[in-house]
Amino acid sequence: MKNRVSVRWHLWDLLAFRRLVPNRKKRIARASSEPLTRDPINELARQLHPDRLCLTIAEIRDETKTTRTFKLVADPDSDTRSLAYFRAGQYLSLRAHVNGATVTRPYSISSAPFEALGKDGFYEITIRQVEDGFLTGHIWEHWHVGTQIESSDPAGFFYHEPLRDRQAIVGLAGGSGITPFRSMAREIAHGKSDLKLTLMYGSSDEEDIPFYDEFKELERKAPDQFKAVHVLSCEPVSLEGCEQGFITAALIEKHADVETSSFFVCGPPLMYQFVEKELATFNLPPKRIRREVLGEVKDVAQLPGFPSNVVGKTFTLKVHIGDVTTEIPARADETVLVAMERANLAPPSKCRSGECGFCRSRLVQGEVYVNQEQDGRRAADRQFNYFHPCSSWPITDLEIHVPRSVD
Amino acid sequence: MGELVNANDQSINRSYDCVVIGAGNGGLGAAAQLAAKGAKVLLLEQHNLPGGFASSFVRGRFEFETSLHEFCNVGSVTDKGSVREFLEDELGMHLDWVQVPEAFRMILTGPGEALDVTMPYGVEEFIDAIERYVPECRESITNYIDLCKEVVDAIAYLAASKGNPDRDVLMKEYANFLKTCPYTMDQVARALKVPPKAQKILHALWCYLGPPTSRTSFTIFAAMFYKFLITNAYIPRQRSHEYTSALDTRIRELGGQIEYNTRVERILVQGGQITGVETSRGDRIETRHVISNASPTLVYNKLIYPQSEVPEIAYKECNARVHGVTGFVVYLGLDATLEELGLGEYSYFIFESMDTDEMYDSLKTLPTPKIQATACLNNALPDCSPPGTSIMSITTLYRPEAWKDVKPHKYVATKNRIANELIANFEKATGAPIREHIEELEVATPQTFARYTGSYQGVIYAYEPEPWDSLIPRMMCMNDDKHFDGLEFCGGFAFRCHGYSSALLSGQTAALLTVRDMMEKGELA
Repeated sequence: MKNRVSVRWHLWDLLAFRRLVPNRKKRIARASSEPLTRDPINELARQLHPDRLCLTIAEIRDETKTTRTFKLVADPDSDTRSLAYFRAGQYLSLRAHVNGATVTRPYSISSAPFEALGKDGFYEITIRQVEDGFLTGHIWEHWHVGTQIESSDPAGFFYHEPLRDRQAIVGLAGGSGITPFRSMAREIAHGKSDLKLTLMYGSSDEEDIPFYDEFKELERKAPDQFKAVHVLSCEPVSLEGCEQGFITAALIEKHADVETSSFFVCGPPLMYQFVEKELATFNLPPKRIRREVLGEVKDVAQLPGFPSNVVGKTFTLKVHIGDVTTEIPARADETVLVAMERANLAPPSKCRSGECGFCRSRLVQGEVYVNQEQDGRRAADRQFNYFHPCSSWPITDLEIHVPRSVD
Repeated sequence: MGELVNANDQSINRSYDCVVIGAGNGGLGAAAQLAAKGAKVLLLEQHNLPGGFASSFVRGRFEFETSLHEFCNVGSVTDKGSVREFLEDELGMHLDWVQVPEAFRMILTGPGEALDVTMPYGVEEFIDAIERYVPECRESITNYIDLCKEVVDAIAYLAASKGNPDRDVLMKEYANFLKTCPYTMDQVARALKVPPKAQKILHALWCYLGPPTSRTSFTIFAAMFYKFLITNAYIPRQRSHEYTSALDTRIRELGGQIEYNTRVERILVQGGQITGVETSRGDRIETRHVISNASPTLVYNKLIYPQSEVPEIAYKECNARVHGVTGFVVYLGLDATLEELGLGEYSYFIFESMDTDEMYDSLKTLPTPKIQATACLNNALPDCSPPGTSIMSITTLYRPEAWKDVKPHKYVATKNRIANELIANFEKATGAPIREHIEELEVATPQTFARYTGSYQGVIYAYEPEPWDSLIPRMMCMNDDKHFDGLEFCGGFAFRCHGYSSALLSGQTAALLTVRDMMEKGELA
């Protein structure tokens, strides 16, 4: 077989081979010696996804007796010059320092993407006091106009995707789950989106509906594109245009065209459980129902498969971060992430729902319980003993290796 | 506010035999080989995962491959390619590789093109198949493939000779290799009188290299093409994150240390000698050896400190070489099986034509490129997604300049418009109604590749392998290109050129060169 080929052999071929090296040198010698400075691709990547955003509170508004909106702008004393653009429905992971510990919390951005643009750009986050006593207590007390807040880049996947979702979407929300839909509604009402949104929002108190008046105004601005239906579990209902009861299948059918819509669900766990049952009656393919991640599970002992014998126990957690090894206590009813935050190890975290993988760490020894509903690990991570501390609970003593946070 | 109370406590201030910058294919290969040779190695990676471009991500009930189409040079258990030899025999790893069922199906969609071919790997199989489409091309194709074999054998001989080949052996045994070295794919195919229609089929894999066939080095194409023919193509069972995680594990088992979320900001140099690195986390690490998975472009323009240590010639090299293309990928999780969609192949190359100059020109502006390479994962891995579903990824390429003026608020609309057209082009070419089955969708742009790796301009195809700067001239110029004592490069920008297997194996080479250097200097115990 070998050398059966006869490429016609010319003298200049050999010459060309001998000239490969001198030619390469010549080409290099001819080139400019200017350093390369601009890289617009990486610049845009950094603009969209900065390692962190340094923000400051510009304004605080009470929406209801339990709900407060914080308007955040780029901190003029920092290197954050402008805000990262985002998709309506995404969240920020804010970092707070509470009683000597650094913790993060994801909050959906309640303002519209277009409002983040330009030198006066801002984000708003809207927090309900009732839902997370640990952090909201701190926020109500310590966050004032001028307080500096550190944030992640906008993140998360709870947004309308025109190539995947129907143009008409039905938002089913409860509690602070209203916030991503406010972002969408504002984007729509200001002519920035051709989405059609029907929002069904469950409340239990007529006096405690965030954005009630604002949504009326947004409906007037975009009557064909936005409709808010408030569903109140209290009796009697006196507010105009509200439904009494819960977000049932019948009520959904009354206000939306089920067959032509995609469903977006965001709210507290109990609301998910209820709404899932109602949606099941429509027999929709999975692609037609999008769910925002659940957030931190509060009562892990209730989850299927959680070993009852560890309830109430505290384990020893040996943590390697960088060159530091620390031994800390870890309660069986709190995630590995929370145990590390309590010890002020400042581990990386973002979604706190098992989804984003930002806290991905290596289990050296011991066992964790992973919530099946929140197991966003890659297959190979399971195989090679990596886990997400935000959705894993210690059920033995543990030794783990955690990456340092990015900044 | 915002300061970590104990950030400094977590910093690393020790010395290492070698610091590897970047845990892409090259960096992982380098760190593993160094650790296997007993060197004290620290691997630093800015992202929180190993792999660089070689990774995976989860959306809903799907886990997507980030960029791998097919792995070259793996080979079967009984007939191993260099990649398998390196991972299994040298590093002692055991991985689950799955063979890709066919080479490719290529559909040319332009007016008057009407070419739709499905090609197998395997030398005889490939020749038989191409002859069915282009009668009477057997002889020229056989000659062409023989020539490719000679190229592969010659490269193996050069590698075995460790840079000191016997001139007589080269002239006698590998004369055709020498003759073709300065030429392009087009020049060699024409010289061997491969009929134009057969050239279109033969050159289908040009899209794995980037430049048009009129500019791509024949040597590099021949090496890749022949390796695919004889060792077939493979993919890891659990996406690329599987073998990169396995490498991560193996590096640590061998005594290496890895730090994620740690960006190297400076490579410290004194009088041309590497002395250490500094990181975004405030680490100050002493070392006399650095293997960089970051490109020479980034190292010379951004990392070497002080910058006055960088010689003028290093900037000239960066400017003389042509930075390759960047990528654009649409990932689709579908709620239908590939069978239901009528998609029988793993790999679809859908090009408007095989006028690769024209195709390449279409990568320079934002309208949708005229080429796509689409992988239907379940046709290689039937169980890679839940029953009743399937995974596809549509890849195209861009010159980075095409994206330079995109503004943040136009970014999503821009990528969605392109994704939409790529989907439409795929549907039109194959007749498969995929749009109505999209359950999960993600889009990676040049910015995405830049975001996760820091690659200059988001480039995924390193420096373009034109004949003047292809494998052989790069090998012959290795000493000339070396500007710092203790610095080696690995990854796609290194001498082997780009591609998963080349990048991985370049890490092995860089590690062996470093170990030799350490031993010569008496640095390695």
